[in-house]
Amino acid sequence: MIKFRLIARLDIRNERLIKTIRCEGVRVVGDPAEYARRYDAAGIDEIIYLDVVASLYGRNGLARLLDKTTSDVFTPITAGGGVRTVDDGMALLRAGADKIAVNTAAIRRPALITELAEKFGSQAVVVQIDAKRKGNGWEAYCEGARQATGRRVSDWCVEVAERGAGELFVTAIDREGVGTGFDTALASHVARANIPVVIAGGFNEPKHAIEAAQAGVSGIAIAGALHYSRVSLRDIRQALSAAGVPVRFAA
Amino acid sequence: MNYPALWSNDVERRIRKKASNLDEQVSPKDVRFCRVCIISNQRPRIVFDADGVCSACRYAERKRSGIDWNKRENELRRVLDGVRDDGPYNVVVPCSGGKDSAFVAHTLKHKYGMRPLCATWAPLIYTDIGRRNFDSFVHSGFDVVTATPNGLMNRKMARLALEFYGDPFLPFIYGQLAWPMHVALRFGIRLIFAGENGEATYGGDTSANDLPSWDAAEWERIYMKGAGVRKLLGISVASEACSKEEGASQTSFHSLPSFDARQQAGLQFHWLGYYLPWHPQANFYHAAEHTGFEPNEARSEGTYSRYASLDDKLDGLHYWFGYLKFGLGRCTSDAAHEIRDGELTREEAAALVKRYDGERPTRHLAECLDYLGIDDAHLQMIENRFRASHLWNGQTLKHAVYDQVPSDRAA
Repeated sequence: MIKFRLIARLDIRNERLIKTIRCEGVRVVGDPAEYARRYDAAGIDEIIYLDVVASLYGRNGLARLLDKTTSDVFTPITAGGGVRTVDDGMALLRAGADKIAVNTAAIRRPALITELAEKFGSQAVVVQIDAKRKGNGWEAYCEGARQATGRRVSDWCVEVAERGAGELFVTAIDREGVGTGFDTALASHVARANIPVVIAGGFNEPKHAIEAAQAGVSGIAIAGALHYSRVSLRDIRQALSAAGVPVRFAA
Repeated sequence: MNYPALWSNDVERRIRKKASNLDEQVSPKDVRFCRVCIISNQRPRIVFDADGVCSACRYAERKRSGIDWNKRENELRRVLDGVRDDGPYNVVVPCSGGKDSAFVAHTLKHKYGMRPLCATWAPLIYTDIGRRNFDSFVHSGFDVVTATPNGLMNRKMARLALEFYGDPFLPFIYGQLAWPMHVALRFGIRLIFAGENGEATYGGDTSANDLPSWDAAEWERIYMKGAGVRKLLGISVASEACSKEEGASQTSFHSLPSFDARQQAGLQFHWLGYYLPWHPQANFYHAAEHTGFEPNEARSEGTYSRYASLDDKLDGLHYWFGYLKFGLGRCTSDAAHEIRDGELTREEAAALVKRYDGERPTRHLAECLDYLGIDDAHLQMIENRFRASHLWNGQTLKHAVYDQVPSDRAA
């Protein structure tokens, strides 16, 4: 049986770990490598590094950070932010990432998704969607959740799957950093893409993980609650397990 | 919203004719950029030192290392204790519901045990997000007295301010300053606490950099930009846009209370930023956590930020005209202070400026034009009138900071 995944989300800016609220702000939490090692030791299932301002400044500095991290972190790592070409993706994979995440560049040139998938395989291509509630649906945003794209999440999630994405990493902008639980309606909504979905934005306590699992996602991303030690992985896993959700138990 | 005609065709003709004969604004002809941030010497009242560093950066430097903040906080407690037994309210806080004013009100109330009465000067045209943040702020537990000035008079003033000073936002700026003083006088409150001293923090007059407050006379001198409500009203009356009596009564809250009234009441206007390190980023987190503040759904036009100055549909034009007059747009202002706060490098800031600074605001343009009683062609004529000739080659800036900051990363 496929296990429900717990993913530590590390938003990066200038090689420092930051924590935003509703995807805004640059409050520094600390050294990302140190946090990655901590989550690795605690038995997190995956880590995702997102350079949240890479597209804003038109640059890409994640590879260097990955180099520093991956020598002693063995948890699978997804890295994204500023990936615009197959070469950018290659640089991240060479630096030790297992998957690459892409948002802004895919919005601008959707064919990039196919190029990445053909080169590295769909399993290595995560499309990140920053979703903002608009009326009855959601709109995709790019450039660190600053820029509306005019793309409806309902269409976009299906399109990226057809173009070869292997996974969706979906953040509810309105929930991010707020701690009121995941947007489970959004989670169910993007399930139509028929590829694995990780939902992000809003986790604060174990019951939020159960709600997300029941909404049909295959994993959840946790940031602030882990960075500020408000919750332990053990507690989340125990709660999930008690609710009948299969999880991997760290030894 | 329905916006009726501002005035008769005759008045409109008189105003256009008079405005077309304006002299060009005077600012330094040689354009220089601060070597630490990205602001230029075109910013009104800013001072550069012999090393080419602007007064705002020097002030930020001093705040980082040259100030005993414990001592300042003790001073703050003394000031607050001086009025603590006044009642039922003991301090007025000018409040929009934005992150900065929410931080001031919340901190004074919850950290220092004050009983603030918040004074809100309504935006010229509320944005949805601005209104929501204001309501959330009130519901988080604050008493607020709001002034919603006569809408027609506000529009007349905004239009005249646009024609004659290249800034439709002036009536808001006047009222935002004056209204809290009226509230204080009427409710018998002696102390007003605002956020930061904008002149010191963002570059301008440096005379109060080391002062906790400004005296009554300084306000008129510094803030009225050589215009002031009376001057604007003078133009209005001379063009028969309103009668003298009408104008005087309908702008009484835009105008500072008389010097004597302020002196007699012993009114003190302090900046919290003098007593505590002032940090807009931190204010955002504080307001998001305590007063229900939400950033805008997308970045503001002309900049990258989602959380600053977002409650008035007119403020896009305010920043846009700053860009035309001084070559310094909204992104430059935002990025300059984030450099000083240690959140951006100069290269990052230059890249952002290149990308966003010259963006003409269109999101609320149609409504702004209705509000101001003009069409887009007339607005563009006014824009061209305010493009300073030493800064512009047609629509291209002659001196841009991103052409000077050497960086391969600022692509």
